[in-house]
Amino acid sequence: MAVTAEQVADAMYDLVKEYQGKKKLKAMDLTHMMVERYGAEGCDKKMCKAAIRSLIDSDRCVYTYFGGSYIELPHAEGAAGGG
Amino acid sequence: MSETNGKGSATPMLDELEKGEWPSFVTQIKEMAAEKEQCQQLLELLERSYREKIGHWKHGGIVGVHGYGGGVIGRYNDLPEEFPAIAHFHTLRVNMPSGWFYTSDVLRKICDIWDEHGSGLTNMHGSTGDIILLGTTTDELEPTFKALTENDFDLGGSGSDVRTPSACVGPARCEWACYDTLDLCNDLTQTFQDELHRPAFPYKFKFKCSGCPNDCVASIARSDMSIIGTWRDDIRIDQDAVREYAENGVNIERDICGNCPTKCMEWDGHDLEIDNGNCVKCMHCINAMPKALRPGVDTGATILLGAKAPIVQGAQLSSVIVPFMKLEPPYDEIKDLAERIWDFWSENGKNRERVGEIMQRVGMGNFLEAIGVDPIPEMIAYPRENPYVFYEEYYEEEDEEAEQEEEEGAAVP
Amino acid sequence: MDTQRRTDIGPPDFRRFLPPIIKENYGKWKYHEILKPGVMVHVAESGDKLFTVRAGSPRLLGTKRIRKYAELADKYCGGHLRFTSRHNVEFLLTDEKNIDPIIADLAELGHPVGGIGPAISSIVHTQGWVHCHSAATDASGVVKAVMDDLHEYFDGTTKIPGKLRIALACCLNMCGAVHCSDISILGVHRRPPRVQQGLAKVCEIPNVIAACPTAAIRPASVEGTPSVEIDESLCMFCANCFSVCPALPMADALNDGVSLWVGGKVSNARHEPMFSKLAVPFIENDPPRWTEVVQNVRKIVEVWVDGARPHERMGEFIERIGWPKFFKLTGIEFQKEHIDDYRYAGLTFHRSAWVRH
Ligand code: HEM
Ligand code: HEM
Ligand code: HEM
Ligand code: HEM
Ligand code: SF4
Ligand code: SF4
Ligand code: SF4
Ligand code: SF4
Repeated sequence: MAVTAEQVADAMYDLVKEYQGKKKLKAMDLTHMMVERYGAEGCDKKMCKAAIRSLIDSDRCVYTYFGGSYIELPHAEGAAGGG
Repeated sequence: MSETNGKGSATPMLDELEKGEWPSFVTQIKEMAAEKEQCQQLLELLERSYREKIGHWKHGGIVGVHGYGGGVIGRYNDLPEEFPAIAHFHTLRVNMPSGWFYTSDVLRKICDIWDEHGSGLTNMHGSTGDIILLGTTTDELEPTFKALTENDFDLGGSGSDVRTPSACVGPARCEWACYDTLDLCNDLTQTFQDELHRPAFPYKFKFKCSGCPNDCVASIARSDMSIIGTWRDDIRIDQDAVREYAENGVNIERDICGNCPTKCMEWDGHDLEIDNGNCVKCMHCINAMPKALRPGVDTGATILLGAKAPIVQGAQLSSVIVPFMKLEPPYDEIKDLAERIWDFWSENGKNRERVGEIMQRVGMGNFLEAIGVDPIPEMIAYPRENPYVFYEEYYEEEDEEAEQEEEEGAAVP
Repeated sequence: MDTQRRTDIGPPDFRRFLPPIIKENYGKWKYHEILKPGVMVHVAESGDKLFTVRAGSPRLLGTKRIRKYAELADKYCGGHLRFTSRHNVEFLLTDEKNIDPIIADLAELGHPVGGIGPAISSIVHTQGWVHCHSAATDASGVVKAVMDDLHEYFDGTTKIPGKLRIALACCLNMCGAVHCSDISILGVHRRPPRVQQGLAKVCEIPNVIAACPTAAIRPASVEGTPSVEIDESLCMFCANCFSVCPALPMADALNDGVSLWVGGKVSNARHEPMFSKLAVPFIENDPPRWTEVVQNVRKIVEVWVDGARPHERMGEFIERIGWPKFFKLTGIEFQKEHIDDYRYAGLTFHRSAWVRH
């Protein structure tokens, strides 16, 4: 099952959306989940890396930092409060 | 500007810290407060912390520059109505040049950028080594970044990524540098730009490069990969210079030989003899008599792994993984080692687990196997004391027979 | 966008900023000598001489002061300078005659020259109340108070047996490099986080639970809504949970303060690197001068200055005289907190019959 980086990015995006507010996902979590879904031959780490980069560069997702780095949907900063 | 209406200073406790011999950070903030409302409000907020004995900052985890997962630390104060100018007060980490060398022109350029886009306050430098630009609003992050990159500067690391590597002054000004710390640091930083800006690891990873075992950047205490210069041949001795130190009052017997950890030096009042096979390259004698003694010429580095601060599973110092490695461009051997470690760690690491922690969790032996390094006695202080050895497999009677048969089979073609 | 956005360019190549004398003698230095406090000369194989003048700094610098440094570099050093790993600034001179004038100019700016060789160098430290969310004490203020008191050991007025490194971190995260210093000043919280209402709206509960190194956080239901509870007997006040979740504040004026640790070292000289060990478990925050912290640090420094042999670092000195003597000489009270009770604590017990009487 050959997939393209595009498809992997879309699948990752769906996962991030599904987990938003429930569990923060790290780059390595997404990579593991993709390799599990598509198999190591169909989808290697390089492809996952490219997919994550395209998610971030297109503003569909952002990196966040809460004691560790995560990939999430863009959202308002809790700590920003009213200010 | 929020002034004091003749009621005396708004910041009496901080004013106290302008007195005394040591240069004052309060003076620094005040110098900038003359022009920047942000700095005035920072002073007043800090005064309040001094009065109440608690901090007033909240951690922000989302702000950053487009495409990067590191380099910006989000900060908001918890009294935004009272201190609106610093409601957002984010920090940028800017990757310093190796060895922290600057020209006056480039420093002024950084000042220009920061006067235009931020508070004008900095740390020269943060404890990882970056130039810290302390305090600006969310809107100014992208413009600051643009101005920095136009002047050939880029952000450093933060988050679960390669952190900004740092190096001691090395061959630029130290006769003891056993490899080119500045070049290696620069090379690693450039090679791993993607790993530095786009966090993909379980947690942070730090490289620090010290040119000799004096370890001026404290790499053994605070880097996941500590690269500490050393040599394999003999310490170079100038016996005349040794005698000169003796004549000038150095007690060589007591203070040099007596402090040698392996007692491998002898001084007969005329010549200093070193049993180099027993020298552990601690640097003591060289530090004490720099004109007489120098490291050897067959130089390289010892690579150690796994130092980390107490968070999460307790603190560790780095320990030896490669006793001696030659370090010359393009530095493929060390880069390859780092990448093998990252592969294993990214694959198997838990969230927020440092390399030093995964080494302990899976066992050093298993870790070595996974990264393809053979176990050697240089890696330990002493062999295990506890007898709980977890062998992974054992043989049954049949196995042995089968094996024997196989062997016999192989012997008889 | 008008121009291509530049990314991943890394820092500028350091070679652009090296002074000519360093370019010419790169890797070809022969030896160095300390000429006087804060001043050293490096002599190259070629015979060239490079003079370094090291000055202390508060680390937190405004751009105005950095421009002053730049001016001094232009005036005396052909525009070249560098910073050290301990926040000092170093001016690199080729003309010996400029040493005294630049020291005079630095003094006028309020920057003492020193910190080379057997001396106390600047205190490596963190952000504290100036900028960090998990600080149990301020950083810059404590550093200023301690250095005001110890400057005689920085600028060479009082000679000391060897190097003395002090570092400060304002919480257990220790972003400042303190655990291996001769004297470490560490901010400590003593009260477990308080669980705020509506935690689940701000934070993801599984992440909060996973954040705790000692598994002190458990899921709980508070008035019918999901939240967490803290097993206070398991909390060692690291503030990890607060970093992950702002609804678990830790800061507490009554219970936050400072601890002192001693005897760590990084360099390999003579003795292997060592961690710092607990000397004073807790001192209340006392801004702006933290008097009790300053007094304790001074006491420890003085005991070492009086008793140490040449080259001997704090940790080597204490190992030689023994910990009981250290507590006796400093007058610091030994308490149960001094005895480790975490994993493998037994390794820190006195496992022999060697006792000095
Ligand atoms: C839960 C763990 C940690 C959290 C939440 C954390 C958080 C932070 C924050 C918020 C800052 C920025 C301070 C500021 O500029 O306002 C910071 C700085 C820093 N952190 Fe951490 N930190 C953690 C653990 C560590 C550890 C374990 C180390 C290294 C041993 C470390 C090293 C640093 C360094 C070197 C800096 C720069 C500090 C400076 O410039 O003074 N951090 N950390
Ligand atoms: C005395 C109180 C202590 C303070 C204030 C302190 C402070 C620090 C700081 C600030 C760092 C970060 C350096 C950096 O990355 O820039 C650090 C790192 C470290 N500390 Fe400590 N520490 C203390 C105690 C300890 C203790 C007791 C240990 C071990 C038993 C320890 C072990 C380490 C180790 C191994 C690192 C490695 C740094 C890294 O993760 O990058 N520290 N410490
Ligand atoms: C943790 C696992 C261990 C257990 C359960 C254990 C148990 C014992 C027991 C029951 C004895 C006999 C005491 C007696 O004479 O009544 C003993 C003696 C001894 N054990 Fe262990 N031991 C352990 C680990 C070790 C290790 C790791 C060493 C050495 C590296 C060691 C060295 C000795 C020695 C030297 C004796 C005394 C033998 C003699 O009588 O001369 N033990 N141990
Ligand atoms: C007199 C000869 C020495 C000279 C010229 C010298 C020079 C320096 C310089 C320039 C730095 C700052 C490094 C940087 O920012 O790149 C430094 C830091 C340091 N030096 Fe030396 N050093 C000397 C001897 C020693 C000795 C004998 C030791 C150990 C016994 C030592 C231990 C250190 C340590 C641990 C640091 C790091 C400070 C820190 O950031 O924690 N140095 N030294
Ligand atoms: S670590 Fe060694 S080579 Fe590097 S500056 Fe220090 S003494 Fe020199
Ligand atoms: S470097 Fe250290 S171990 Fe080697 S001879 Fe000198 S004092 Fe001894
Ligand atoms: S040591 Fe702790 S409180 Fe201080 S700056 Fe670092 S994370 Fe913040
Ligand atoms: S402060 Fe640390 S030990 Fe205490 S509950 Fe929070 S994470 Fe756990």
